[in-house]
Amino acid sequence: MTSRRQMLKSALLGGGATVVAATAMGSLGPEAAFATDRAQEVDPGAPDPNFAEGRIRSIKDNTLLVLGSNLVFHNIRVVDGTSLWKLGPVGFDQAKPGDGLYARGVRMPDGVLAAESVWLNIVNIKGHIKNITSDKIHLDHNGQEVLCHVVAGKSVAVHSDAPASGDLSMLRVSQHVQILGAWRPDTNEVDIATVFSPH
Amino acid sequence: MQGIAASQPYVIALFLVWAGLMKLLSRRMRAQAGRTALARLTGQARAVPLLRLVGLVELAVAAAILPPAVRPVGSVAAAVLFTGFVAYLTYSYVSAPASSCGCLGAHSHPVDWRSFARAGLLLAASVASLRSGQEPPAVAVALVEVVVLLGLSAELDRHWLRPLRQFLVRVRQPLAVPSPGEIPLEASLRLLYLSPAYCSASARLTSDVQDTWDEDGLRYVVYAAHERTAVFAVPLGATEPSDVRVVLVEEPALA
Repeated sequence: MTSRRQMLKSALLGGGATVVAATAMGSLGPEAAFATDRAQEVDPGAPDPNFAEGRIRSIKDNTLLVLGSNLVFHNIRVVDGTSLWKLGPVGFDQAKPGDGLYARGVRMPDGVLAAESVWLNIVNIKGHIKNITSDKIHLDHNGQEVLCHVVAGKSVAVHSDAPASGDLSMLRVSQHVQILGAWRPDTNEVDIATVFSPH
Repeated sequence: MQGIAASQPYVIALFLVWAGLMKLLSRRMRAQAGRTALARLTGQARAVPLLRLVGLVELAVAAAILPPAVRPVGSVAAAVLFTGFVAYLTYSYVSAPASSCGCLGAHSHPVDWRSFARAGLLLAASVASLRSGQEPPAVAVALVEVVVLLGLSAELDRHWLRPLRQFLVRVRQPLAVPSPGEIPLEASLRLLYLSPAYCSASARLTSDVQDTWDEDGLRYVVYAAHERTAVFAVPLGATEPSDVRVVLVEEPALA
C-alpha cells in the first residue's frame, strides 16, 4: 500500500509515474467534464443494470448476497479497487449482514455486479432539530424521532456557503437541517457524516 | 380527598372550554382538520362539521359540570367523553400514526404517550369529580394538576419546551468541541467537491474514495477513473477550492 501511495504522490508532485493529465492550475481542463467513455446505456424509466440496492443477507468470500427492496437478489462482488463507504472510506471487513447498501459497478454476463463503489447504510434525511444533548441531535423527521450521533473526528457541519467544519456547536434547537449519515441497522439511530444547515 | 374531588370540575371545565373554543373558533385548526386522524376516521368532508360538533359537546359538558345541581350528570358525561377520547387516541395511534389528534389546537405532533397521559388524567379527574360534595376545592392540587396537564399538551411546546431547550443548549453547549482535533475527511471532501480540479475530473471518476492519507500538510484522496486512477491533493486547513490539485495516473489494475 505504501509503495502505491508513494507512486501516486510522486505522480501528483511531478515524479516518475505515467501521468495522463495534469495542470499546474490543478484542473484537467473543461473538456474533461464532457469526456466520458461510457455511453448512455439505460433507457429512461428502465432499471439501471449497473446499480443495486438492498440489505446484505450473507457474505461469502468477496461476494455479498443482497436482497433488494423489490425482493430481487443481487450478487455483488467486491474487489481491491472497490470503494466502500460506511461513514467514510472503510475496508471490506466493515460490511456486515444486515447492513443496507447502494452499489454501483459493472454487471457481468453471469449476473454478478462487479462493484466499483459500495455505500453501506447511507441515509439522507431532512427534519428539524427537536433537541440537542451531549453528542446527539434529536431530529424530528415527519413526526418520527431520529437520534443522530455526532462522531468526533468524522461529523462535519456545512452552514450555508461556509467551509465545512468539525464544529457543530452552531446548530440550534428548532432549526431545519439535512443530515447525511450512516444508519445503525434496525434502529432509529444515525451516525452523522455531514449536517447541512441553511444558515 | 373531598377537596381534591371538588376541584376536579374546574380543571375539567378549563380544558373542555379551551378544547371547545379552539375547535369552534380556530381557522387554522379547521384548515388542518383534513390532516388529523379524525379525517381518516370519518372522511375528509365530514372532518370539519364533526370537529365543530365535538367542540359544542365539549362546551356543553363544561357547562354541565360546573353548577353543583347538575354536577353528577356533567361528571358522567365528562367520563363518557374522555373514555371516547382515549378510544379515539388508540384508533389514531394504531391506524394513523403520522396524524395529529386535533385535540386542543392545530399542530403536527402525532399521538404519543403524552396524549394518552393527558386524556387518561382527565378521565381519572372526571371519575373523581363524581365523588365531589360541598367542600371547598383544593386550589393547590388543582393548580399542580393544571400545570401537569399543560405540560402534557404538545400544542404548547413551542411556548415553553422549545425555548427551554434552546436556553439549555446555549448554556451547556453539548456539541462544543473541547479542542480542535484533526480535520475530518468529510470537511476536506466538501472542499474537494467545490474545486475546479474535481469539476474537471468528476465525469471520469468511476468510484467513491478508494484510499486517503495525510502527508506533509496535504491530504491525498484517491478515486478510480476507469482504468486509471485520479489522485487529488487537498491542503489541510485550506479554505480555497482552487488550492486542490489533481492528476490522472495510468497504473495497472490493483492486484
